[in-house]
Amino acid sequence: MRTEQELQISPVVQESVIHNTKVLVTLRNLTASLFGIGAGILGLESYPGFIFYVVFSLLTSALVYALRVQPALARDPSGDAGITRFFKGSWELWTGGIFEGLSGFVLTWTLFYGLVRA
Amino acid sequence: MSKLLDPIPHHHSYGVLRHYATVLMATAPKKQETPAIREQRSLLRGINLRQNANAISPVAFNARRDFLVTAYESGQFLKAPEKKGEAAPNPMSDPAAMDGMMGMMKGNMMMMVPQTLIMGWINAFFSGFVVIRLPFPLTIKFKSMLQAGVATKDMDPQWMSSISWYVLCIFGLQSVFNYLLGSDNAASQTAQQMGQMGPGAGANMFGPGVDPDKQFQGEAENLSVLAHYYTLAGVEERLLKSLS
Repeated sequence: MRTEQELQISPVVQESVIHNTKVLVTLRNLTASLFGIGAGILGLESYPGFIFYVVFSLLTSALVYALRVQPALARDPSGDAGITRFFKGSWELWTGGIFEGLSGFVLTWTLFYGLVRA
Repeated sequence: MSKLLDPIPHHHSYGVLRHYATVLMATAPKKQETPAIREQRSLLRGINLRQNANAISPVAFNARRDFLVTAYESGQFLKAPEKKGEAAPNPMSDPAAMDGMMGMMKGNMMMMVPQTLIMGWINAFFSGFVVIRLPFPLTIKFKSMLQAGVATKDMDPQWMSSISWYVLCIFGLQSVFNYLLGSDNAASQTAQQMGQMGPGAGANMFGPGVDPDKQFQGEAENLSVLAHYYTLAGVEERLLKSLS
């Protein structure tokens, strides 16, 4: 944790943090619905279905990292290196909003499982 | 066996309608007269000074602090200076607060009534059969929750009745509503619950039943014990270090 005086000199802007989190959570919600469609069409049952969701959510985070975070870091080498410049920790990038997306995933999964399975 | 089609109407358009209905029904904030506003704003000014104290030079900070502390202690900003020792009026009798509470209750009504209506409609027309099967297994205990109208003993809990499918739709589509209507939309329940906790914490400062004089005294004490550290002290060294 940075000291209070360091925070005064280079403060953490709350709006940017909120915006970053919102982008990540929105993306996670939308892709969760799409992954539900995929899992339903594939006819996945209980555990493989959830593993499918987790694996593809991690893949989404990896793509966010590779296509958004990495170029921004490379473009501007001053300032914090690593994910802490944009998120409060790598934990947030990889698993942010995963439980909120779970309900959307289960909804579309159930719907398409029922539709396709006939 | 032929497959049953989804009998539930599009939950999506209903949520969008609910959002706009709530926006239209929201009451406008009530106007307050100058002494009341001045009382609240002066307290906010003290809090702002405390939080941002390190951004101004020691001289400027001391000048502001001395002015505010003397003003707080003499009760200069009070709405009704002659009532200095008494507590604020009771929340039930104070009309200004009633409007705020009515607004919140109206918002809650807007949220609950359509959901209750649709649940009753579904129970009336779509009860007694299962509509869809969950892809993952559940324990027997969930049967009472998920198969409310169907009186079988041996069917898996995986088969859901229409009402539980409706509940699943509500939860699943909240994220879609979040995306479509922006993050402060009125169709999202989680945002509404958090909104009730958030402004509740902040509104307690100016809500009825709190004595403004005591708030001022507390704020004056906070200001006098604040240790001031000027952020720009030593800035020349930092600048030279970053350039070298």
